[in-house]
Amino acid sequence: MARRPTRALLLGALFLLAVGLVAGWSLSAWALWQTEVPDGLDPLTVPDSEILSPDLLDEARSYETFLRVLFLVSLVVVIVALALYARFGGRFVRESAAGRIGTGMLLGMLGLAFLWIVDIPFGLAALWWERRHDVSELDYGTWLAENWLALGGEFLFVCLALLVVMGLAGPLRDWWWIPGGAVFVALALLFTFVSPYLLPAQVDAPPDVVAETRSLAEEQDVGEIDVRVADVDSYESPNAAAAGLGPTRRIVVWDTLLESFGDDEVRVVLAHEVGHHSREHLWKSVAWYALFAFPGAFLIAWTTRRRGGMREPTAVPLALLVFVALQTVALPAQNAITRNLEAEADWVALETTEDPDAARDLFAGFSEQGLIDPSPPTWAYALMETHPAIAERIAMAEAWELRAGR
Amino acid sequence: MAAVEPHPIRLVVEDDLARSRLTVFFRLLLAIPHLIWITLWTIAMVLIAIVNWFAVLLTGRLPGGLHDFTAAYVRYTTHLNAYLYLAANPYPGFLGTPGSYPIDARIEEPERQSRWKTAFRIFLALPALLLMTTLVGAGGGGGGGGGGGGTTGDTDFGSEAAWGAGGTASAVFVAAILAWFAILARGYAPVGLRDLAAYGLRYAAQTFGYVLLLTDRYPNVDPREPPATQPTPEKPVRLRVEDDLRRSRLTVFFRLLLAIPHFVWLFLWGIAVFLALIVGWFATLATGRLPDALHRFFSAYLRYEIHVFAFVLLVANPFPGFTGTPGSYPVDVEIGPREPQNRWKTLFRLFLAIPAALLNSALSGPLYVAAFLGWFASLALARMPESLRNLGAYVLRYSAQFYAYLYLLTDSYPYSGPAEYVEPEVALEPVPTWPDAPPEPSF
Repeated sequence: MARRPTRALLLGALFLLAVGLVAGWSLSAWALWQTEVPDGLDPLTVPDSEILSPDLLDEARSYETFLRVLFLVSLVVVIVALALYARFGGRFVRESAAGRIGTGMLLGMLGLAFLWIVDIPFGLAALWWERRHDVSELDYGTWLAENWLALGGEFLFVCLALLVVMGLAGPLRDWWWIPGGAVFVALALLFTFVSPYLLPAQVDAPPDVVAETRSLAEEQDVGEIDVRVADVDSYESPNAAAAGLGPTRRIVVWDTLLESFGDDEVRVVLAHEVGHHSREHLWKSVAWYALFAFPGAFLIAWTTRRRGGMREPTAVPLALLVFVALQTVALPAQNAITRNLEAEADWVALETTEDPDAARDLFAGFSEQGLIDPSPPTWAYALMETHPAIAERIAMAEAWELRAGR
Repeated sequence: MAAVEPHPIRLVVEDDLARSRLTVFFRLLLAIPHLIWITLWTIAMVLIAIVNWFAVLLTGRLPGGLHDFTAAYVRYTTHLNAYLYLAANPYPGFLGTPGSYPIDARIEEPERQSRWKTAFRIFLALPALLLMTTLVGAGGGGGGGGGGGGTTGDTDFGSEAAWGAGGTASAVFVAAILAWFAILARGYAPVGLRDLAAYGLRYAAQTFGYVLLLTDRYPNVDPREPPATQPTPEKPVRLRVEDDLRRSRLTVFFRLLLAIPHFVWLFLWGIAVFLALIVGWFATLATGRLPDALHRFFSAYLRYEIHVFAFVLLVANPFPGFTGTPGSYPVDVEIGPREPQNRWKTLFRLFLAIPAALLNSALSGPLYVAAFLGWFASLALARMPESLRNLGAYVLRYSAQFYAYLYLLTDSYPYSGPAEYVEPEVALEPVPTWPDAPPEPSF
């Protein structure tokens, strides 16, 4: 008789806990979503024909369509390949003389190797397409070599992740995801902290770029920020990045950007990157990561229970499938989050430089050089775009101009 | 060990290890007449090799006269290389007469050869030539020269001919340099270095025989084939090989990348080992023994190192563990219990280890080439060729003994000979005895 009320009480407590967690998650997500971009900018649109010439627009659309189809097909193939690996990958246990964790690492690495092999034709096709449209000058051998080395980096990453997960799953069984989530967040913090040193080889920035960055940082009231120039191959697209936390905060500008754009456009880029630091976007990114890491880890722990949980190496192929599937499902949300942060950095850059013409020229230049479709279809926008569409970015510059009464 | 049909080109070793210090000191200069003579003979051999090729292609067999001429050339290069590399003592004759030298190439009578193998001989020989370059040096060492392949015989010992691929010194060349000092000091050649040279010379003779169309049997690089007929020195560090030669194609293809976490762990663990070594050195110097905890720590690291390199270099198949647990891997190091160590040897350990370090480095050339060739073979066959695996195991055994010496696990110097004693299953042919010399192993 006494058992039923206790059980009901327990269920009730669990329900309340779940509601509390969902509410806490939603509240945190809402708080992180808030930006300085004013409401009411959305209706403004810029016709694509004002951004690119008709011929270039056609070429950009045809160019991106092929890449989008390739992306979709490769996504399906990757999932199918991982499903097969989840089904049969456990056989590779016999190739290991390592213990539980070492064997798990081997299975994790082989899973990535399998994906690498499956993805090679798509990568080569994409490179062929980029070379055909003069977007890339990278040769196939270099691409393969770089991809091979990148796979080595992925192996290291997966080994570290499995060391954490399987190490915790040993004593904690299916509850590893709670400390595991915390460890992954700590690792993400560490990774963000050291990320400036992981970017391409860097040299001192020209004095005018340093002075400009200092002045923009003062205007955004963010303190001193180091700026460096990444010495990259001439075929790499113009780019820039904000990296680091606290004392390692840094802006890295690709030398191809400095060579391709004028001083005013470069100033917009610098203001955008300083904006990422001044609005704490790197901290926010880690916080967003934390919001996804715990539920993700929980789902992996839950789905692998039938294979003995993450303490068993044979669960690793399934965990890999679940991880990639979760990433795919979360992709639209993750892209929306990064687009939200990028839009705020664009707005802050406009507020700081007060130069919408330079912003317009910059974004149109990006579109022209990289054959970027200014207004991608909604599905591609949701699945593939980490930045606002070019048309949206230019529309924001025009909206700022209107609001400023110019 | 399964009985294998003997290769038609074998090396007979009747050397008694005794050396004349005077001739050793001036050996290079004394060899000058031979170096001139072999240059001329090599030029002739290049032309004869072309004739050989057409003759075998047309008739399926090397005619007797051509066979004798070519066999004499191969024997002569073997005699001369043995002299230059200090694998034998007496001054060799100029004609390559059979049985005239304590290290001699036994070459069987002409036999039928496959025309296909003959047609593509020079391409088929490339892996063997590559391996020979790292083991003995370009052109098979001091003398010789791939006639049929059109390679010229650079006959200068110590010149580029004695250097392996990529500019590193060949293993036999380094063994000869070390033997030169040892002989001048002691008056006889260390058996391990002599056996290493003999092993290299046997492989070079078989490679020349293959390239010059004496036989269509591929050179055999297996250091355990045939087994040694006398026990090798008992060592406290031994390699146990229980590998079944099976290889997983997928892990072979990605082997280097799969080893990345192991390299990271080796590096981190290595830092701790380095610091502990300093403590261990003082402790061994003071007490005459390595402390038990450090002995276990260094042993585990050494085992782990060998497991990882056996995996990377395809000497074994499974992914190794991270702890260096004894008996956990098919290629494992057996390390004896800790023993009292000579304090003088401990005091000067770093300097004493230099010769072994040089040889260990030189042996890495054949090891890497064997792994490179084994990579292709394993991908194609899902199986590592036994001879290449055994070559890898030999080098790993030497490495294990070297590092055990360096890590103060033992004060027993590494043994460089390729063959460990195995009870022979097939009675070896009786060989003519070199005057006043005891019987020695046949390679």
